[in-house]
Amino acid sequence: MHLVRDVLDKKLMDREDCPMGRVGGLVMHVGESGPPRVTHILVGGPTLWMRIHPALGRLSSALGQMWGPRRKEPAKIPWSRVETVGREVKLDVEGKDTGALDWEIWVARHIIEHIPGGGSEEEE
Amino acid sequence: MKRLLFATVILLVSCKPPTPAEQMDAILSWVGSAIVLGNGWLRHTTPDTYTRQTLTLSHDQLRQIGAELLKSPPATIDSTELDGALTRSGTHLARMAQLVEARNSPGFNQVLDSLELDQKALKQLSDKIESSQ
Amino acid sequence: MKKILQLSLGIITSVGGFLEIGSVTTAAQAGAQFGYKLLWAILLGTLCLIFLIEMSGRLAAVSKHTIVDAIRERFGFPFFFFVLLGTVLVAFMVLVAELGGIGFALQILTGIRFPWWALPVSFVVWLLMWKGTFSLIENGASLLGLVTVSFVVAALRLNPDWTSAASGLLPTLPDDDKSKYWFLAVSILGASISPYLMFFYSSGAIEDKWDRTYLPINRVIAAFGMTFGGFLSMAVLIVAALALRPKGIQVETFQQAALMMTTALPKWGFYLFALSMLFACFGAALEISLAISYFFSQGFGWNWSEDVEPSSDARFAFVYTLIIGFAAVPLMFGVDPIKITMMSMALTSATLPLAIVPFLFLMNDPIYLGKHRNGWISNTVVGVVILISFVLAVVSIPLEIMGG
Repeated sequence: MHLVRDVLDKKLMDREDCPMGRVGGLVMHVGESGPPRVTHILVGGPTLWMRIHPALGRLSSALGQMWGPRRKEPAKIPWSRVETVGREVKLDVEGKDTGALDWEIWVARHIIEHIPGGGSEEEE
Repeated sequence: MKRLLFATVILLVSCKPPTPAEQMDAILSWVGSAIVLGNGWLRHTTPDTYTRQTLTLSHDQLRQIGAELLKSPPATIDSTELDGALTRSGTHLARMAQLVEARNSPGFNQVLDSLELDQKALKQLSDKIESSQ
Repeated sequence: MKKILQLSLGIITSVGGFLEIGSVTTAAQAGAQFGYKLLWAILLGTLCLIFLIEMSGRLAAVSKHTIVDAIRERFGFPFFFFVLLGTVLVAFMVLVAELGGIGFALQILTGIRFPWWALPVSFVVWLLMWKGTFSLIENGASLLGLVTVSFVVAALRLNPDWTSAASGLLPTLPDDDKSKYWFLAVSILGASISPYLMFFYSSGAIEDKWDRTYLPINRVIAAFGMTFGGFLSMAVLIVAALALRPKGIQVETFQQAALMMTTALPKWGFYLFALSMLFACFGAALEISLAISYFFSQGFGWNWSEDVEPSSDARFAFVYTLIIGFAAVPLMFGVDPIKITMMSMALTSATLPLAIVPFLFLMNDPIYLGKHRNGWISNTVVGVVILISFVLAVVSIPLEIMGG
């Protein structure tokens, strides 16, 4: 599998076929023996900004601590949860449990649902 | 990207000053607009508010461009003649706006005729400026 | 039967959604100043757009990716972000211009100046996005936009010399004011070839769940819809050439633009112009807001759909709420929408390669298109026109500013 071509930046879908964002980065384990292997998928702002410049990654991380869901780390999904890699990367997880949708839920609860007609996340 | 930013900055910071010929074209454009508008109003094809506001706009633009032009008028024309033509046109435009408000069509028609004569005078001056460039 | 309905609707919405403040202002200025001489720019822009729209639909139907999905996945995040920055900045300026166009239309109808309309207009645009569905927005706005066909009626009423008009379809140099001529040519190209149209079209194809069976329909919609739309732009130019040029009227302001229709159609011209601009700019404002939100959402992998409640695609809804709100601000402070329009059209031309070059790469990639990749004609037409637009833009924008 060609990781950059087939996995990086692909859409992530959870077990209910709900979009969970995109693969922002990959964590690889380089052991003493054997080839390096992918251990986790990273989803989230700082990982992405880091790919443009490390300073932007640090800025994104710092801003993320100040408001929003205030995650200390980007969302990390174990590679073992990957079911298939095709047009999208299908995962055997519940999207909301991975932390990948924290921002979506935070914006929905703190901004959108306060505007009349915005609806309610919990009604689904 | 750099060239784009450069162009944008230049755009914002420095606009080229128009030539006297271009200024006269702009003045004639506004006078021409007022005449078309005036004829339209007399035929009841344009509403009062739009007509009045556009005539006022024409008047303001004429004053502004005219003042700029008179700061350094071209040598090929008599600046007193130009000043006179501009002042008369400006007065007529202001008067027309008032007459629209008063819904005085006969009065408006008379002033419109005068504006058409102003247009001819301004066109002659414009031609003199163009031919010298 | 369903496909025939979709086809008809597709053509109608393309026609109704074609004109907006950019295409009207640039065509009107061109006609008023240079007569028929810039018809070739509309022709070239429309031709290029036909190919680009067809390609956008084909990419969506075959690869099940929108253009933005594919740019992110094929080129990675850093490149995607670079494209986002350039494209969205210019699209935002165009959005400000469109909201200004709605404001101006209301100004000439009511006498209340456009800065006062900035907030109410933005609110209505936002409300339609908040409560409306994709079909309602796409179809409703475009059907109302059909009132712009009145420009064609006006052009026919003025009895143009068709031989003279046809000669304008080939580029000819003007006698004077060359820098303005090329600046207008660039602006017309930017007004015709708007990247936001492509993003909107490909997103719509995905929302409507197009597959390979839609490829013939896609071709017909692109060809006929954009061609008829191009005729509308040409009609505006012809009307301005016949109604305004002989009287020496330049189109510096919206109020002057209205005069072309009062001359051509004395009884209803004024109201047809105002309503045309109102509905055309409304439709465009909705499309651009959606296109910008799609760009963010598809690029970052958020939920996006106009057919669900805002809380189900919270970040998508948040983006369009923010941009519509921000777009009102310059207008509230009285910034002239016509000036923004001219600047944004020229800048669109200058930034076209940013969006189109990656797109051309995608359209030739077998992973995405398989056997439906671009042929040499598509590649050549688009490549050449984009190159022309870019070179003209880079040369003419500074020339226009610093004096030809």
